[in-house]
Amino acid sequence: MIGARSIAEPTIKDTVIHRLDPRAKILILISTVFVAVSLDNQKTMFLLFLIVLSGFVLARTPAIKIKTLVLLLVLLIWGTIYSQALFYSQLPRTVIFTIISPDFPVLGWLTGGGLFVYEEGLHHGAIQGLRSASILSLGLLMCWTTDSRDMLNGLVGLRVPYSVAFMVITAVRFLPIIITEVATVITVQRLRGFNPKKFGSGIIRTLLNILTPTIANCVRRTGTLAVSIQSRAFRANLDRTSLKKLKFSDIDKIVVAVCVFAAISIVIMKLIYNMYTSGIYYTSGLRPIYAIAGGYL
Amino acid sequence: MKNIGFFLLVLVLIVQPAAAQVQQEDFKPEDMTTFMIQVPHGVEGNGLAVGNNTLSAYLYFESYYDGNMNVTVELDLPKGFVLREPSVNSFSLHTEYDDWYRLLDFYIPADTPCGTYNITAKAVVDVEGTKHTIVRTTQLKVASKEEVANEVSVSQLIIPSDEDGYGDPSHPSNTLIVQETSPALKKLLKVTDLKTENEDLTTTFMGIKLTNTGNSTIPVIVTYDILDTKTGEPVKAFKPDIMGMNTDTVRYATLTLSPDSSSLISLPMYISQDAMGGDYLLRVKVKLTGSDWVAVTKDQKITAISRKWEPIITTFIASLLGLTALGFFLSRPRKIMDRFKTRNLVMIALFGTVSFAAINLPMTILWELSHAIFGPFSFLFTGLFNEILLYMLIASLVVLIPKPGVISLFMMVRFLLGGFITGSFTPITFITLSVNAIMLELMLYAGGITSKNPAPHNKFKMGILCGFADMVSSYVSFSVWMVLYRLFYSDWYIASNILIDGFLYTFIGTWFGISLGNRLKKVAE
Repeated sequence: MIGARSIAEPTIKDTVIHRLDPRAKILILISTVFVAVSLDNQKTMFLLFLIVLSGFVLARTPAIKIKTLVLLLVLLIWGTIYSQALFYSQLPRTVIFTIISPDFPVLGWLTGGGLFVYEEGLHHGAIQGLRSASILSLGLLMCWTTDSRDMLNGLVGLRVPYSVAFMVITAVRFLPIIITEVATVITVQRLRGFNPKKFGSGIIRTLLNILTPTIANCVRRTGTLAVSIQSRAFRANLDRTSLKKLKFSDIDKIVVAVCVFAAISIVIMKLIYNMYTSGIYYTSGLRPIYAIAGGYL
Repeated sequence: MKNIGFFLLVLVLIVQPAAAQVQQEDFKPEDMTTFMIQVPHGVEGNGLAVGNNTLSAYLYFESYYDGNMNVTVELDLPKGFVLREPSVNSFSLHTEYDDWYRLLDFYIPADTPCGTYNITAKAVVDVEGTKHTIVRTTQLKVASKEEVANEVSVSQLIIPSDEDGYGDPSHPSNTLIVQETSPALKKLLKVTDLKTENEDLTTTFMGIKLTNTGNSTIPVIVTYDILDTKTGEPVKAFKPDIMGMNTDTVRYATLTLSPDSSSLISLPMYISQDAMGGDYLLRVKVKLTGSDWVAVTKDQKITAISRKWEPIITTFIASLLGLTALGFFLSRPRKIMDRFKTRNLVMIALFGTVSFAAINLPMTILWELSHAIFGPFSFLFTGLFNEILLYMLIASLVVLIPKPGVISLFMMVRFLLGGFITGSFTPITFITLSVNAIMLELMLYAGGITSKNPAPHNKFKMGILCGFADMVSSYVSFSVWMVLYRLFYSDWYIASNILIDGFLYTFIGTWFGISLGNRLKKVAE
């Protein structure tokens, strides 16, 4: 649970990153996701990853969170490397280890000719892992530098219906309580002799034994909570006011404009380039774009 | 009358021998036969060869004479050349357009001095006992390998090119597209009779520019291979059988290079659909015609781009579906949300919290950890949380609130919560969750579980419906990973994941979820 908290809880400080408007952060994240998904060039992907990581330095992220980040990134990239080493399907590929030989009874046939570890797959996995790593890192940076209430205000500011925002607020508010409840139930179950780590049907029984009291508490709580919020005029008026008004600063506007413009440009350039490589559309006037997209993106 | 008959008989007897004599006298060997020699085979005019090489001389004889003739053909090679077969060949031709040909292999020793040699073929034609002699002479220049190799070069390779070998700027150079046409489009074209090409093969062309800087005419044969860059072995997918024939029989070109000139030729490139993307080595080989000796080799790195259209189309449709669903929700949020009591919204939110606390949070580390340890087989373990636990929650929530839209709201809370707390605002999460929600809503509504008269207690029915819905979203998830994150997955792996994680675990989770929901209902009441 300590690990979970180190992932979940934001650290509020007064840095450039922390001062950014939550809506700006959401828009930057969405723009970066589009950029990360569009890129193919290894160097540019690595550059994007470094830019995202530099955000943690600017935000003066605590060491515990940096450790968590490093652990998550190492596991994420290694996981991608592992899977791609097995499933890499480009040439050339060099077998460095045979897991299932093609002649192995049943499994050899099931796997369509064996399962191997390919040297080039390791490299491909490392490169492609950078893509997910950039997205994950920026997501964590956003969470670790923004209070969840501000984030929800940001969402409402971005026209997410208030009822949905309210559900998320409720979920966020009850998260620590439910985490504690789950931990308590697990302890109780262990004291009663259940082994949560027992594989097979034991896991399902354990899950049922944990879920039943936890959700039963939630269901009980639902009635009380519903009456409480309805008595405070929830959904009574169409328009809502907010105690804390969000306001875009000039820096927010500039950063968002740059990120959104860069993302749109990169996505369009890649789209044009892919249409060219697929033989769908070509015009000589777009050659500079083909050159940039092919060489740097 | 008798006199007339006798007169005709005498006339025939007189005329017949005379006619035969006229026929014999009229036989002109040069006009009534074709006698040809090519050294080496395929070269009209003077040939070129190098020492320590075996060549084929081609002899051809055709008769235009309507009668029997006996022919003896003799090949006379320069001193030092070693003929592998008999130099004298005899044969008979019996009618007009009857012909004979032979390929006679001979060896030019390595120590043969460079220079020009005369090769003579003599045919002695015996027609009705009269012999006629026809002589053909050709010249063969013997040059050193260095001389030939220096004179011939592959000055440019244009990939892909048009049928004439000219490059097309609308296609990226040195790049081959594998599976360019989508299967659906192919079917459509076939149905509409717009295109009837071989479905298994992609064909393109390669332009090869050859230059001869020497003073002699050089007859050459151009072939190529596409090799694995690591092993140097030809790649089978680029040598598919065409109408039962080996590709080598159709992918070559012969040409005669005039002195001090350049020629552009094109060769077809065949790519079978099982060709993998990646980097390859294109090796173009230029041989002297009639010889196995490779005079020039030109290597060029080429890239094959493999396009799997099914994941691309799936990702596109899934993204469209997700955005449409989101747009639909954002266009009438109040109307949709007003269908739910405040109590329902709170319950959905709390279920979202439980799912996040019990699944998302531990899985943030566990998913990565199990992925790092078990690799791709981690789904057997992570599925216990991702599928069984999740569907226990979904099924119990549907039992408690059997209304359309419940699952969508639950998924929305999960997505936003995951985004705020673990930063997982990723396109994959959005597309997968939205498709999962849409499929579940559709299936459960169509199956009568969340319809006007809800019946959420049939474990088997709901298990099957949720199983199928999750199979679809699992497939979509893999497609999105492959397209947006450029990852590779084997078909067998995707299939086993969809069956075990997508169906089996989901079915189990739903089964137990309904029991859980029924128990919770008592608490709620």
